[in-house]
Formats: sequence, structure tokens, C-alpha cells
Amino acid sequence: MGSPFDINGGACVAMVGKDCVAIACDLRLGMQALTISNNFPKIFNYAPSTYLGLTGLATDVNTVSDLFRYKVNMYRLREERHIAPQTLANLVSSSLYEKRFGPFFVSPVIAGINQTTGKPFICGFDSIGCIDFAKDFIVSGTASEQLFGTCEGLWEPDLSPEDLFETISQALLAAVDRDALSGWGAHVYIIEKDKVTQRLLKGRED
Amino acid sequence: MTSITGHPAGGEGIGYSFSQPTAAPVKQHGFYPYTDNGGSTLGITGSDFAILAGDTRSTSGYNINSRMVPKVFKIGGDDETGEGAQIVLSVVGFAADGNALKERLDAVVKMYKYQHGKPMSVSACAQRLSTILYGKRFFPYYVHAILAGLDEEGKGALYSYDPVGSYEREQCRAAGAAASLIMPFLDNQVNFKNQYIPGSGEGHALEAKKAEPLPQTHVEQLVRDAFTSAVERHIEVGDNLQMMIITREGIKEVFHPLKKD
Amino acid sequence: MADRYSFSLTTFSPSGKLVQIEYALNAVNQGVTALGIKATNGIVLATEKKSSSPLIDPPSLSKISLITPDIGMVYAGMGPDYRVLVDKARKVSHTGYKRVYNEYPPTRILVQDVARVVQEATQSGGVRPYGVSLLIAGWDEGIEPESEEATKGLSEEKTPSKTGGIHKGGPSLYQVDPSGSYYPWKATAIGKHATSAKTFLEKRYTEGLELEDAIHIALLTLKETIEGEMNGDTIEIGIVGPPADHLLGYEGVEGAQGPRFRKLTKEQIEDYLTNL
Repeated sequence: MGSPFDINGGACVAMVGKDCVAIACDLRLGMQALTISNNFPKIFNYAPSTYLGLTGLATDVNTVSDLFRYKVNMYRLREERHIAPQTLANLVSSSLYEKRFGPFFVSPVIAGINQTTGKPFICGFDSIGCIDFAKDFIVSGTASEQLFGTCEGLWEPDLSPEDLFETISQALLAAVDRDALSGWGAHVYIIEKDKVTQRLLKGRED
Repeated sequence: MTSITGHPAGGEGIGYSFSQPTAAPVKQHGFYPYTDNGGSTLGITGSDFAILAGDTRSTSGYNINSRMVPKVFKIGGDDETGEGAQIVLSVVGFAADGNALKERLDAVVKMYKYQHGKPMSVSACAQRLSTILYGKRFFPYYVHAILAGLDEEGKGALYSYDPVGSYEREQCRAAGAAASLIMPFLDNQVNFKNQYIPGSGEGHALEAKKAEPLPQTHVEQLVRDAFTSAVERHIEVGDNLQMMIITREGIKEVFHPLKKD
Repeated sequence: MADRYSFSLTTFSPSGKLVQIEYALNAVNQGVTALGIKATNGIVLATEKKSSSPLIDPPSLSKISLITPDIGMVYAGMGPDYRVLVDKARKVSHTGYKRVYNEYPPTRILVQDVARVVQEATQSGGVRPYGVSLLIAGWDEGIEPESEEATKGLSEEKTPSKTGGIHKGGPSLYQVDPSGSYYPWKATAIGKHATSAKTFLEKRYTEGLELEDAIHIALLTLKETIEGEMNGDTIEIGIVGPPADHLLGYEGVEGAQGPRFRKLTKEQIEDYLTNL
């Protein structure tokens, strides 16, 4: 059997713009070559401007997203404040490392704006919690190689929210069209200081 | 583990407390005739030109063998410099096979010219290359080849191959280590995949942006961008960018530096 | 085996009181007075350092402790119990927070964690309550109360249905009692002369107090109740103020911030005393 990361397929990408960030994912859920569902979003919201994308083994995507729902709810009740993207990043990191020798097969991506500093933040992780603090973009999933190519080619610094939406959408769609395990439409979130726009993209259905 | 007799269990015979010289285990001898030498190639065509490009790094594993090993070759030229050639071949994968394939195709194209008294057309050369590759169906040339030239109408022509000779004429193609990085970028920027004409309609009525031949300067820039991007994220790609630009005037070969890290 | 037959020593009296806790409070009320005053830009913690013998080496005595770089603590009551609590507070701030979030706990969270330790001692088998009251002072990063956004966030609830608004930063001062209850204060005192010290503080405390004034008032309050001489050896002061980058031990690291909590040196205390 192949890698657990490649059974269900899926892709996720986050990008930084000028005073904004974006995060996007595809919608496919498969079992190897067989497509099971074309409505399996991989991005989860944990605070007004903090989002977590999870690709990898679908059962772990569900388990991990629920685990962080519980952990972030407890954080919010205890501290009477929303979790900052940086804090969530460290929570994700320590939670994944807790399972160092029996990991969740997920590659998480975080995108958000820190409400205290007003600064955009993105980061990615490996399945045991090593954080990748990137200044430009983060990719994950079965289409990650393709996403590296499209993002490296299309992304530029200080994109406006509108341009960032075009860039991340084209980068994702172009990438998933070259990956048999990803695609079937996409969710895109554009996160600004006090506004979040979610869009549903139609894509190739094959 | 100790046996019930109190002696260490040593299979059959007496159990010694010291290790016994045993017969050397049967050695598995393997011969692997192929190496992956990394690198990437890329070809794009226009209305009256074709561009074939590749990086010049040669690797084996994490080692860099050389920073200047071209992967793009003129085919059927009049002398060693390739002067007079009208066809270009790029090979990426196993460099030794790539060189052998280049030499063979070059000889074939030259022979064709001597025997027929006219240069070989790209379409004919494309078919011939396919048969050469298929000829070694059970001990293949371990390469992804791309063939470029100008067709009978003077339009850019590009043919891409798998290692055993399946081939197809295309507008653009990336091959090699960073193919998966470059190809989706090309889909989007050359064939305008997933791009639509704004305000042309709603839903299925929305009109897709048509792929049209791009001007030469624009294509050159795309090739350079594709490679600088690939160099950034793939360790087997880098050092120099070799570009062959095929026009009616002939073949222009240019080199650009890439990151050497 | 031992824990199978270990019962709580703190049990209800028929009148509904937990007398063990009241005894613990008695121990606190015999302790040396400690006080804390919150200012707009910091907090001061102060106490008297009483030595039983002239032969003691004063600098080796320490009653005010750093818990995290931005949080400090002082006590009234039993010294050994306090030391145990300092250890537990420092430990829980890492195991329960920094190792999870890679940042130090906000003051209220730390106070709750310490208060839980103290409370558990009132309900567990085989242990007695801690014989100390604590004053915990800390500074939280976040939007400070005076700033525009904080007041906006306070007045018009953005998300009334959900817990969690903006993170309110700035100074805070808490008292933790042997029962495990805790209270936030603008200024307070604990220990032997707590009542008179609090009466004094009520008179001297004003809104919009600055740290320098608070230190001044702290020394004046201490002066009212002190039994021996007042000098750099007999007074201990800890402050939560601006980041003390010189205490970092290194420089040139981007984003590095020095501790906000620090103890004043003997010389610094004596400077304040001469200006009293």
C-alpha cells in the first residue's frame, strides 16, 4: 500500500498579501483512484481571522480538525479571548509532536491575521509538528510539487486582496489539474483585518 | 535464548559460548544500468519559432557532477558546431543514454540528408525518433526527449516522448526533475487553462480564454521564469539555463546564469 | 497502599466552616506584611525582610520571586510553603502553557493555575493547606486598556454570543489565599499589618498612578508598619515595568524582549529611601 498521505488526495495552499492573507483547498475525497466525494473541504475556522487547512489521510483530517475544535474552544473559555494564529501554530506543533511515534498523517497549513499586531501570518507543518514559517506561501497535499511550481511562478509581494484571490485561485486550479488525486472545485478564503471573503471555485471535474 | 540443557542453543551440534565462524551469507549481486542525472527541460512553440531549454546541472544523488552539461542538442548539422541544423533535441533523465540517443538521431538525420539530398522534416524526424526509442523497448533509453523545429508551414513544432517512443505534438512541455513544478505553470500561462474572459457570461456560459501563439520575447521570459522558479524549489535544477531558439533564420543558442546553490 | 487510607485533613465543621483553612489564614495573618500597588505603567511588590539574627547574610534571603519573565510573586505566611508554591508556579507555567503555546501564560491564567494547586491542598488526602497568601503581579502583552481599540472592544461587544473579545493587555495584580480563592486588586496588602496598610493605601491610592509614584507609596506604607530599621537590606522590592533589555544577557536579536519583572537592587532601594 502506498503512503497514507496519498490515499485520499487533496491540496491546500496559503499565501501572504499586503495586509491580507489567503488560504485555499480543493474539494476532492478519494480512495486511491476512485473519487468518493466532491465536497470535502479541508479548511477549518478557529477564530475570526484564524484558519487551519489539513491535507493527508481523510480520517486524520477529521480527527485532527475536531481535536483542535475542542482545544481551541477550551482555550477561548479559559482565556476569554480568541486564539491568535501564532498561538494556534504552536498549539498545533506541540499537539502533533505529542504523537511523535504514532503521528497523524496530516500536513497542516495555518493562515490568519494577528488581531493584536494586525500583521498577516502563515505557516505550515510536517506531520510531527515541525513549523515552516514562510514569508510568501505554504503548500501541502498530493499536489504540493505542482503548487510549489505555480506559486513560485505566480506569487509576488504585496498583492492586494483582489489580486491575491486571483493568484491563489490560479495557482491552485493549475496545480490540481496536473494532480489526479486533487481537484473537483475549491474553497478560497481571503482574510483581511476585519473582513473574510469565502469563495467557491468551480474546477475541472475529472 | 538458552536451551533446557543449560547450553546455549546453537542450532544443530554443540552450543559453543564463543561465536563460530559461519559461512558467508550469499551475496546478492545487482547491476543497475541506469542513473538519474536530474535536471529539467522545457519547450514552447510560437507561430514562427520554437524554444527548447534546459538547465546545465548534472547530478547523481545529492552530488553535483558538473555545472555545465548541456541537455539540448542541435540535430543534423553540417559540422561539430551543429551549424546548418534545423532540428533540436533535448534529453533529460540518464545522461549517458541521452548522449547515445542524440548521437544516433544526429547520424540518422545526417544520413537522411546525404541519401535524399534534402533536410529531414521535423515531422519525419519525430516519427524516426519514436521508432529509435521503441527499438529499445525492452532495454530503453532512460530519457524523456523533446524534439523541436519548424514544420512545413514554418510554424513552431514541438514533439514530446516517453522513454519507449510514445509521442505527441504539443504547444508546450516540461520534462525531467522539475516537470511537475513547471508543467502546471505552463498550462496556466501558455494555454491559459482556468482563465476566463471577464463578464463573458455566467456559469457554463462563461467563455474560456483561448490559447493563442505568444510572441517570442514573451515566451523567452516565461522560460526564464519557469526555470528560476524550479531552481528555487528543486535541488537537482540549477547552475545555467541553456536556450535554443529556432527560427527561420536558424538556431540561436543562449546561456543564462541560474542560482548555483 | 498509603493513599488508600489517606483522608483529607480539611473537613467541614458542623457550622459549615473549614477550620483548617481558617488556621492557615491565621498563619498568614501572623506573617510579615507584603503589599502590591498597580500603576498605569507597571506594578510594585514590596515587603519587609526580617532576619532573626544579625549574623544572617541579608542578600541570601529572598521573598519576592520571578515566576515568568513578566510575572513576579510575593507572600505573607510560611516561608517553606511559599518556596514550594514558587516551584510549582514556575513548573506549571511551562508544562501547562509554554510547552504547549510557546509563550508564557497571561497573569490571570497563571493565577488560576496556582490557585488550583492551593485549592487541591484543601481537598486532597493526607495534605494540609498552604499557610501562605500570595500577591502575584504581571504584565500581559496585548492591547492596553487605555488605547482606542480596547475601549471600543469593551463598550460595543463585537461578538456578544461568543466568549473572547480582544486580548486586554497591561498590568494586573492578584491575591491568592489558602482556600484557593483569588482576587484582583488595584492595591492591597497581606500579612500582619494588612488592615492598617490597606487603610493607608486607600488614602494614598489615586487613579492614573505611575510606577515611580507607586514605589514611593509602597515605601511610605511599609514605613507605617515596619518594626525594624528601613534600608536596602531590610526592604525587598520587585517591580513590573518596561522591558529590561539589559537583563537579557545578549543583544542584537530581533524581536527579543527583556523581562518586565525585576527586583530592585539594594542600591536602588536606598536611592528611593533617601528621596522619601
